[in-house]
Amino acid sequence: MNVIEIKNLTKFYGKARGIKDVSFNVEEGEIFGFIGPNGAGKSTTIRTLLSLIYPTSGSATIFGKDCIKFSPEIKKEIGYLPSEVFYYDNMKVMDLLNYSASFYKKDCTQRIQELAKRLNLDLTKKIDDLSLGNKKKVGIVQGLLHSPKLIILDEPTSGLDPLMQQIFFDLLEEENKKGATILFSSHILSEVQRLCDRVAIIKDGQIIKVEKISTLQENTYKKFKIQCASKVDKKHFDMVGVNDLEENDNVISFIFKGDINTIMKKIAEIEITNLWVVEPDLEEIFMHYYEKEE
Amino acid sequence: MNIFLREMKAHRKSLIIWSVGIVLLITSGMGEYSAVSSSGKTMNELVESMPRSIKAIMGVGTLDLSKASGYYGILFLYVSLIGAIHAVMTGCNIIAKEERDKTSEFLLVKPVSRKSIITSKLLATLVNLMIINTVTLVSSIYITGYYGKGEKMTGDIITLMMGLFLLQLLFMTIGTAIAAINRKPTKSIGLSTGILMFSFLLSIVIDMNGKIEPLKYLTPFKYFEAKNIMYGGGLDLFYVLISIGIATVLSVFTYCFYQQRDINV
Repeated sequence: MNVIEIKNLTKFYGKARGIKDVSFNVEEGEIFGFIGPNGAGKSTTIRTLLSLIYPTSGSATIFGKDCIKFSPEIKKEIGYLPSEVFYYDNMKVMDLLNYSASFYKKDCTQRIQELAKRLNLDLTKKIDDLSLGNKKKVGIVQGLLHSPKLIILDEPTSGLDPLMQQIFFDLLEEENKKGATILFSSHILSEVQRLCDRVAIIKDGQIIKVEKISTLQENTYKKFKIQCASKVDKKHFDMVGVNDLEENDNVISFIFKGDINTIMKKIAEIEITNLWVVEPDLEEIFMHYYEKEE
Repeated sequence: MNIFLREMKAHRKSLIIWSVGIVLLITSGMGEYSAVSSSGKTMNELVESMPRSIKAIMGVGTLDLSKASGYYGILFLYVSLIGAIHAVMTGCNIIAKEERDKTSEFLLVKPVSRKSIITSKLLATLVNLMIINTVTLVSSIYITGYYGKGEKMTGDIITLMMGLFLLQLLFMTIGTAIAAINRKPTKSIGLSTGILMFSFLLSIVIDMNGKIEPLKYLTPFKYFEAKNIMYGGGLDLFYVLISIGIATVLSVFTYCFYQQRDINV
């Protein structure tokens, strides 16, 4: 079942492009990554889903219901964490969280305490006095306190130190195991790579690709590093599919795309002492997609 | 209900400051009356010698300044100006502030419709206006009673306060409608106070220059004037209906425009 279904969603701000013809689905129980550089349209898409802004054309459904028409009803089961968190300055953290909880018709006191403890958040402080990272923690508690079925995160990690990021990711994985679906927007690939099952790549307001993280990594490149017994002319590997060929002493390295057997045969022709085959990280794949589009 | 309570709490401080301001204005204004009335020289003669424009700015009109009630009538112009400023600013702010403080991304992703957000906010503003009105009523009756040497004014003051309430209501809805239409929160606040100052100045200009009398329908400050209301004049039903009509239309505007537009984040 699809938790989110987006169909040809388009948003123009006057004449300025927001997003154009965006379509993708997020399935129940998955962690879905949404990556692209700044200004690509990630936040526009998310804000339309949350009906903060209205689409110029196209539509989207959440839990099978139109996201504009049934907005208040849908939002009972959505937890949202924006990239920049702003709250009522003169409120105490506890008051803000209680205010937030008062919108959901369930008792969230215990969950608030639990989350605050995990994140090491002082509930008695004033929002005003909090650092950026601590405000972000308030945002996390605020987004998770009602145990939502769908968690929408818009570049959520900014301002969190690595330790807190770890705890935050653990929390998300726990929620996911309990059945929550997660839409995770980011421009940091390593975090998407770590958490997500599938990913949509957006650029200049348009979706370039929706793919499983695993296929994205499988189908494309392998990084080879070969240590040879004696000096080998690097021209030996000058063939279709080989890129970034480099030779350093007796070590030859390159990125290969294509049938793995052909390259293995080529390697077998020479005497080698060591061989590394590495998965390229998403960053490299990502750049590849971007370059292709340009 | 939670939004309403939150707003009441958020406005507590400003409500106290505005109330104190109004009480101080009435106290010092009527205090001046006691000083003038005891100085022997009659105020009416002094005012008579003033040029028409000065009289217009002071809002004297046909009021009898030898009496405490006449003096209060002048004061009422300034009391209503303050009441109107409070109303237009509260109305505009209560809607625009979510976008100004960027808390809209918090509030509008909660499971509430925009309609119910507006309802809560309008109700909270209304209660704030009623409190200001009540404070004005009670302090007016008490203070004029103190200086009035037995002159009976309570009835007139109550009628004046009903007029003031309609004026407050009008300016509150002007504020909310502007904030609901306009996506730029700082512009909204500027525009609504601008409209208020314009209508206040227009009402004075009309007093100075009789030729532009027909323009009086454009400024709510001409709807409920002390000189017409006091001494048995009462509220003009025509203006009461106009005020209620405009406030209703502007409230509907507030709902419709806020429902339809993109929220700034």
